[in-house]
Amino acid sequence: MQQLDNQEILMKLKSQKQFWDIKKKIKQGFSDQQKIGINDIQKFAQSCEIEDQLIKLISHILKKSKKRETLKEDQIEFLNTSKIKWTELLFKNLDIVHQKAKNQEEDDTNTDSKLYIYDEKNLLAFLQTFKQQQPSVLYQNVQFQSNKLLNINIPLKSAQQILDKYQYILLQEELPEEKINKIRKQIENEHLDTELEKIAQTYVPNGERCLLYLKYFEFDHQETVLQQNFAKLQKECSNQLFFDELLEIDGHEISEDTFYFVFQEQILTCLKCFIRDKTIKENIRIQLQNGMKKEHAEFQLPVTGFFPFKNISKYVAPLCYLSTKIHIIYALFKEFFCRYFCFLHAISSEYNSILSLCMQIEEIVSTRSPKLFHHLKVIGCDTLKLIIHQLIYCFVGDMDPPHILTIYDQIIGHDSLEILVILCVGFLNKYKPKLLLAKNYENVQQIFQELREDKFQELVQFAYKQ
Amino acid sequence: MSEYFRKYIKKEHYANHYSNLKFKTSFRNCILEAFKRRLWKETEGDDWDIMWAEKEWIHEVLDHTHLQANQKINHFRNHYELTRKDLMIKNFKRYKKNLEREGKSEEANNYNFFPLTFHLPSEYPIFFEEFKRQSTNSDTKTAWIMKPIGKSQGKGIFIFNKIQQISQWKNTLRYSQDNPQAEAYIVQKYIADPLLIGGKKFDMRIYLLCTSYQPLTLYLYRTGFARFTHHRYDSEDISNTYVHLTNVAIQKTSDNYDEKLGGKWNLQTLKLYLMTKYGQEKVAETFYNIQMLMIRSLQAVQKIIINDKHCFELYGFDILLDAQLKPWLLEVNASPSMTSNTPVDFELKCGLLDDVFTIIDLEKVLTGNEEQIGGFDLICKGTPVKLPINSTFTTYLGAFNNRQQQLKKIAKSTAIRLAQTYSEGQMKAIEIGSKGQKEKEEKDKQMRSSSKGPQAMQNGSSLNNKSNNLTKQNTIMKRNTANLPALGTLQNKSNLKRQPLQNAGQQQQIQQSQSNSSKKNNPNEDSMLSANQKLQKLTQESKINQFQPYKQQSQYNEVMGMGAGSRNLQKNEE
Repeated sequence: MQQLDNQEILMKLKSQKQFWDIKKKIKQGFSDQQKIGINDIQKFAQSCEIEDQLIKLISHILKKSKKRETLKEDQIEFLNTSKIKWTELLFKNLDIVHQKAKNQEEDDTNTDSKLYIYDEKNLLAFLQTFKQQQPSVLYQNVQFQSNKLLNINIPLKSAQQILDKYQYILLQEELPEEKINKIRKQIENEHLDTELEKIAQTYVPNGERCLLYLKYFEFDHQETVLQQNFAKLQKECSNQLFFDELLEIDGHEISEDTFYFVFQEQILTCLKCFIRDKTIKENIRIQLQNGMKKEHAEFQLPVTGFFPFKNISKYVAPLCYLSTKIHIIYALFKEFFCRYFCFLHAISSEYNSILSLCMQIEEIVSTRSPKLFHHLKVIGCDTLKLIIHQLIYCFVGDMDPPHILTIYDQIIGHDSLEILVILCVGFLNKYKPKLLLAKNYENVQQIFQELREDKFQELVQFAYKQ
Repeated sequence: MSEYFRKYIKKEHYANHYSNLKFKTSFRNCILEAFKRRLWKETEGDDWDIMWAEKEWIHEVLDHTHLQANQKINHFRNHYELTRKDLMIKNFKRYKKNLEREGKSEEANNYNFFPLTFHLPSEYPIFFEEFKRQSTNSDTKTAWIMKPIGKSQGKGIFIFNKIQQISQWKNTLRYSQDNPQAEAYIVQKYIADPLLIGGKKFDMRIYLLCTSYQPLTLYLYRTGFARFTHHRYDSEDISNTYVHLTNVAIQKTSDNYDEKLGGKWNLQTLKLYLMTKYGQEKVAETFYNIQMLMIRSLQAVQKIIINDKHCFELYGFDILLDAQLKPWLLEVNASPSMTSNTPVDFELKCGLLDDVFTIIDLEKVLTGNEEQIGGFDLICKGTPVKLPINSTFTTYLGAFNNRQQQLKKIAKSTAIRLAQTYSEGQMKAIEIGSKGQKEKEEKDKQMRSSSKGPQAMQNGSSLNNKSNNLTKQNTIMKRNTANLPALGTLQNKSNLKRQPLQNAGQQQQIQQSQSNSSKKNNPNEDSMLSANQKLQKLTQESKINQFQPYKQQSQYNEVMGMGAGSRNLQKNEE
């Protein structure tokens, strides 16, 4: 934890509503007295339960002030080198994409090909290559793991632990109106992280979700700042970048989604600003790509420190339901990406990283539904290949926005992406009977091409079905 | 879906079995598919039970035909009183005046959901005065919208803010004044501050089913659409119709129209979006206002429309929200489009139509008191239906559409009710039947004894005769129990088999009534009917096998398979 000086703490305190409430109470308590000693204050604070509040408040401020350091180096050396390899690969892809784009300009007839630097399948394929590089370590420990797609020795949370953690969702019932109103008031008045997390874990009313997110990300009193920052970025957008073109192609894809076509313009604006935002490099919790390519100046990484990938617009889309103000949508997206979604594209041994999540899913499916796991393996469509899309894009496009926002709530509520593991397992369980009948990859694809409707609560229930 | 009804209700419990029903329609879209999914038969002749006709047919043919008591048709004779733009406004204005005259000014003030409207050319002078007044009063030019009467899909509509812009139209009209074809228009004050989402204008299409005008019986469908324009809204640019008109037919011709997209949201999505900006209460109020707007529209024409038990009508209301979330009625469609442009849209419309058919109840299985049928909620029966006080909804419009679950529930309870009434009816019939026979026999006996009496006395074999009589009686009883009551018990038992999920109380009731009936009718059943019972049991089993839901399921699958095929066809057509 970084040390803060007293002045800083005081400044932070003053920005909190609760601080002023406490001050008011103290003022009332000592209205007659001339001299006040520190003992008097302590006694008074104890007598009217201010002490507790004060302690919570200060600890909250300290936690918030902890600068989220970027995780640059991984503890597992092998992953660091892999990350560099991955970056090199992406640079190569960039060259190809650039070439293709050029050709397309010359030849207008061929505008169908969808350009992107990498997608979820590329990433998974790259992760898959890991097992060959480290065979000796892994076979020593566990033998039966050999049938899994990913076999790397990284510290993992036990699968049971995750399942236990989210089991409470199963018991959630519909809340009566009074309780919802109570939650609304709570969101309005609450400032503490831990309390907001608790609310997010259980239930967030649609109308108050935006406020809760803003408070959690400490944006609640900074609207003008957000607006100014966004305006600056928008100005910068007048300078065309090569990546803009890719984003436009990407945005066109999201516009095919019934729920998000309305927001195509907003999404594109947000993304264009995003790849120009210099503050992202400082804020992002994990670096997605490593290494620089020096020879061609025009093909550098964007200022964000990573390449925009296919379907990046999917992360922005559901947030459009939260506010009509584009600077707020942008701020929320930025924060969500820097805190959570970045892990879905990072090669790392962190608990939240795509590698861990994938391995958790494989672990749960192979132990709890071995038949399905084996069957999928046999027909050449591994479990992970099946759900990688849903996993990486948080089910955006697979569920209706209300359900997606519930996932976002859970991510904030637990400050973790583990809910995705539960949902992916539930997803596989839901289609298990159909999948078991599938004879090849085409059949599997057919199953998911049919009209289907997945719901948050339903998938959680399926996840716990034996 | 109706398949739940087919699954749970036994064939003989239908007052009118679905396999006997015939439909007629010239439409080849969701309407045909919805009919087929109910396993009704198509007919070309006049022996239809339900006809989904085009409006023109109603005008040309309906007045000259005599309908059978059971025939149903999808329009009221003079539906145009509500669905033609000019007549609708005229009726609203008239009704509002009447209310004012009766001193009901509060209710009259509620009729503020249509924009200021004039009929052209007849009201041109008044319009001109109003136009001048509006343009002098406000700094910005007021925009007006011209709509041809009796044209649909946005044809012929244009927007203007200078009186010169309609002079051309005026000239052509004057020129062809003798021409009876001369087109009449209405001119409406344009709602210039519509609510925008993502910078785009939208309107809502909401479905309302009217099954009767006396008493006014209305069902509101929970799901509707918000239809978006494909271009950013710009109140300055009034010449670009793509910006202003949301009609799919218009948007289809736009350059950046994407077929896959459809440009639609369902109401649930819209509600979710609105809640984030305006809060739950305000949105709930808005949707309640929409519901009341629809009821009021129908109340205004209630006395004008010719009520007819043969008719029902599915209206498509076009409603616009302005920036203050006030709903405005743009138009009422008597034949809302039942052509779909996406698979989701297709399922929604088929479901909607299926629920309409369930409410029309050609099979005559419902009580008519159901408050929700599929995705439809009863919102008015004589007077507007009030929701329970503790309900969190002020209206079910835009609420979660739980039609599948609801239909399942309603099909089950209906099946139980029908089974009960059926068995009761059977019992009565048997009682009446056996009573009549007994009386007859007694009469016979008396007759015989009176006629044979002396003979018997003479032969001295009265005892013999008595026993003879007894056996005769027995044989009659035997025939009775073997035929009629046997069927009764058989059906009762098979009912129980067919409704595995009905509640235990009702099951007991049925069982009791069943055992009672057998006791009443067959006091000495055990001793006399062992052989017959065996036979009964055998037939029972075979009957039960016949009614296994699996068979129905496979049948249903076949139909659905057919459905999928024609769905593809539809896609191809599009």
